[in-house]
Amino acid sequence: MSELLAPFFEASVRLGVPLALAALGETITERSGVINIGLEGSIIAGAFAGALGALAWGAPGGAIAGLMAGGVAAAVFAFFALGLGADQIITGTAVTIGGLGLTAAAYETRFGPTGTALSLPTLDPLPVPLLAELPLLGRALFAQPVTAYAAYLLAPVLWWYLQRTAWGLELRAVGEEPCAAEAAGVAVVRTRVFATLFGGAMGGLAGVHLSLAHTATFAEGMSAGRGFIALAVVVLGRWNPLGVVAAALLFGAASALQFSLQALGLNLPYQLFLALPYLLALLALAGWVGRTRAPAALGQPWPAGR
Amino acid sequence: MSEPRSRLVRRVTTRGAAVVTATILWLGACAGEGEAGREADEPAQFALLTSGPVSDAGWYAGGYEGLLLLRDSIGAQVSHQQTRTPAEFDEAFRAYGNSGYDIVFAHGFEYQDAAIRAGDLFPDMYVVVSSGGRVADNVVPVTFTLEQASYLAGIAAAGMTRTGLVGMVGGVAIPPALGTFRAFEAGVASVRPDVRVLETFIGSWDDVSAAKEAAVAQLRQGADVLVHNTDAASFGVFQAVREATTAGDSAWVIGMNGNQNDVAPEVTLGSADLRLPAAFLEVAELWQAGELGGRPVYSGMEKGTVDYVPNPAVLDRYPPELLARIDEARRTILSGALNVPRVPYVEDEIGVQDGTGG
Repeated sequence: MSELLAPFFEASVRLGVPLALAALGETITERSGVINIGLEGSIIAGAFAGALGALAWGAPGGAIAGLMAGGVAAAVFAFFALGLGADQIITGTAVTIGGLGLTAAAYETRFGPTGTALSLPTLDPLPVPLLAELPLLGRALFAQPVTAYAAYLLAPVLWWYLQRTAWGLELRAVGEEPCAAEAAGVAVVRTRVFATLFGGAMGGLAGVHLSLAHTATFAEGMSAGRGFIALAVVVLGRWNPLGVVAAALLFGAASALQFSLQALGLNLPYQLFLALPYLLALLALAGWVGRTRAPAALGQPWPAGR
Repeated sequence: MSEPRSRLVRRVTTRGAAVVTATILWLGACAGEGEAGREADEPAQFALLTSGPVSDAGWYAGGYEGLLLLRDSIGAQVSHQQTRTPAEFDEAFRAYGNSGYDIVFAHGFEYQDAAIRAGDLFPDMYVVVSSGGRVADNVVPVTFTLEQASYLAGIAAAGMTRTGLVGMVGGVAIPPALGTFRAFEAGVASVRPDVRVLETFIGSWDDVSAAKEAAVAQLRQGADVLVHNTDAASFGVFQAVREATTAGDSAWVIGMNGNQNDVAPEVTLGSADLRLPAAFLEVAELWQAGELGGRPVYSGMEKGTVDYVPNPAVLDRYPPELLARIDEARRTILSGALNVPRVPYVEDEIGVQDGTGG
């Protein structure tokens, strides 16, 4: 049984980690009252810059380049949505489309129009001594690339930041009652800008996981909608970093399960399997997340009425 | 379209509303004039539509190379657009139609309905739909019988598997893609009926991560030869096999929709090659001769458009009798004695599907 389950758990983590990273970042962004649906743009920018950086400076350099590229995509969003008060949904959509288009154009310029599978330096799995030897979940959780450990570590750190520090309280206040926060002396726009940049950088790291840790190549559009799934993961995780990581791993497990089921050769329409993660999310949303609510000022411009 | 060729009808449409706002009629000069009624010294105008990136080193890349070949060989003026959604399909057709393009190569099954609408709106423009199914006077499906190459790939897979289990990773189960899988299975069964064939669809043509996990899941089941029919996502299948081989397992991958032997030369057994540039040139020559339209164009092994190409870098790993067997099957297909199974999708195409597996 363990020979069957252990590889399944490993695949779950590999598929869940990019969602976890992007959704953790978006959680912080949304808790500040900003909804950045340009997350997909940050992911693809991170994947591409990660690939370029890895070719130039090796995998760690690529990871840093990807992180920064995700932040740059979010900075574009922040400039228009927070600086100029443009509609957040429309701006986010533009950043997503722009990110997909620009990375495609840059890729074709750099690697030729008809493409090639890149052999990138990879962020290899780093087994944690002892922990990786644990039965069943050991290798799944602790023989993963560094991006996975970033997600594990950031979840409690971000939870502690949000719930136990004065800065976290300010961030939440900005997302719930920006008027009250400003009256209390919090710089609303600055807080939101930092939260957005952090979210973008995390999206970039998710992209780095895709290109450097998972596939060792870059392909146009390889983010394949993960930015939007991450938005759902934030809701599923109830805007709580710990819940968000759990939700991302649940999503990863559902995806891994459907690939395993298809590979078993069951004679069922494959669309059923592909729908599995989304059905699961719907069920979870209906039964579990129904009792929570989004940050009160989510998506609203500041100053109000501009 | 039932209008005579010499009378050119152009309907200008407003963007979005799809309303015919003006109909301009004029009579062409004489029958001796070129097909599109243009001056002889004006270059032909050809366009390519893809619904994915041309950097996939496969299906779309081949289409793009075809377009460039037309530019270089017959001096055509060419244009390429990537269109993701059906709404964009219609817009792109209209843009090219209004600009007086001669042929739009709509590179994929997904364009066939929009192609019929465009053909209706622009009677003097030809729409050539790769793997399309619907036919009109100026809408021409080009059917690549890639099944023939995929059948040979199945023979190669059956000859190389040690575990008796091989796998197929697909994008979306559209008939042209399904056809290649049915043919692959028949090829496998013609050598070793006992070999099981796994099938996974990832629901996307360019999600590299998903393709990799699908391939990993099949390898874990014990499959040791994988074939794909995806676009850019195929890089994930190659990577999964490469990693499995690095980890000490023996595994092979077979490319599709182009010669992909260079993508991962050390683990690639061969490719079900599709030489799209040659097929595009054939279509352009039919157009120049005034013979394009009203019927589908078939382009397969007979014309050299498709073939199974063993990877030269690993040719010494093939047992000699396997290579002989592939050559023999190729001859049988070319002689017409073997109908490779396919999933029919061209209008009025009946009876082609009942192939016999060896």
